[in-house]
Amino acid sequence: MLELQASPKEVMRAVEALREFGVVRGIPENELFGPMLSLEECGSNIVDHALHRNERETFRVNIEYAGDLLTIELRDRGRAFDPTSLPTEPPLRADADELGGWGVRLVRRYMDEIKYRREAGENILTLTKSLSRSKNLK
Amino acid sequence: MALEIQIPQIDAKKTGTATVKLNGSLDTATAPELERRLAPLLATSIRDLVFDLADLRFISSAGLRVFASARKAVSARGGQAPFIRMQPQIQEVFAIIQSLPGIAIFKDVAELDRYLAARQHAHDSEA
Repeated sequence: MLELQASPKEVMRAVEALREFGVVRGIPENELFGPMLSLEECGSNIVDHALHRNERETFRVNIEYAGDLLTIELRDRGRAFDPTSLPTEPPLRADADELGGWGVRLVRRYMDEIKYRREAGENILTLTKSLSRSKNLK
Repeated sequence: MALEIQIPQIDAKKTGTATVKLNGSLDTATAPELERRLAPLLATSIRDLVFDLADLRFISSAGLRVFASARKAVSARGGQAPFIRMQPQIQEVFAIIQSLPGIAIFKDVAELDRYLAARQHAHDSEA
């Protein structure tokens, strides 16, 4: 379990940790691109919208790989925010982003499942992906 | 992964095309630096801004927003912000988001040059 400060740099430290996690387990880098991007987007959402880039705040990331299933769990104690409640197809705009709209859209396409729960004052977001199915983008 | 940004020195009065090369990762940590480095370039009279993405390995929505903002700036003066030499994984992100409707993507410099020459020819014919 990684504990990270609420800053963009720390989000990328988590992404790099995922890359190294994959390298150690022999997961090809092209298979890891989607999960790395999803972790970047979800971590950025937490840092920007739940913890407001307050570096005294922290969030945690846990990565597991069992069978062919990669699981990334993000936990924070910011305000309750359920990214899975955002519209499936947010309005597309050329010059602006809806709140997390582009990011959530990418996560939905690259991961098989996104689950959110609020438990004991924590936002808990769980992303899963079966890497053997990674070539079949939804 | 860091982001290396190569931006040409541009005379403020120069018009035409400038090419920005990116190497590494354009993400939540590095996108503000690209935005900061592009600002002086966008303040010149450059019409077209070409992004050479041959060595860009990673991009997130934070990076796409910088591209969208730059594209808006050059569009306002009748220019374009095309992309060349995209890695497949970067092209896939663009395809999923469809974030920049009407963007021009070229596989290499030669294809871009042919496009710009044809556009200049059309422009000259209208004049």
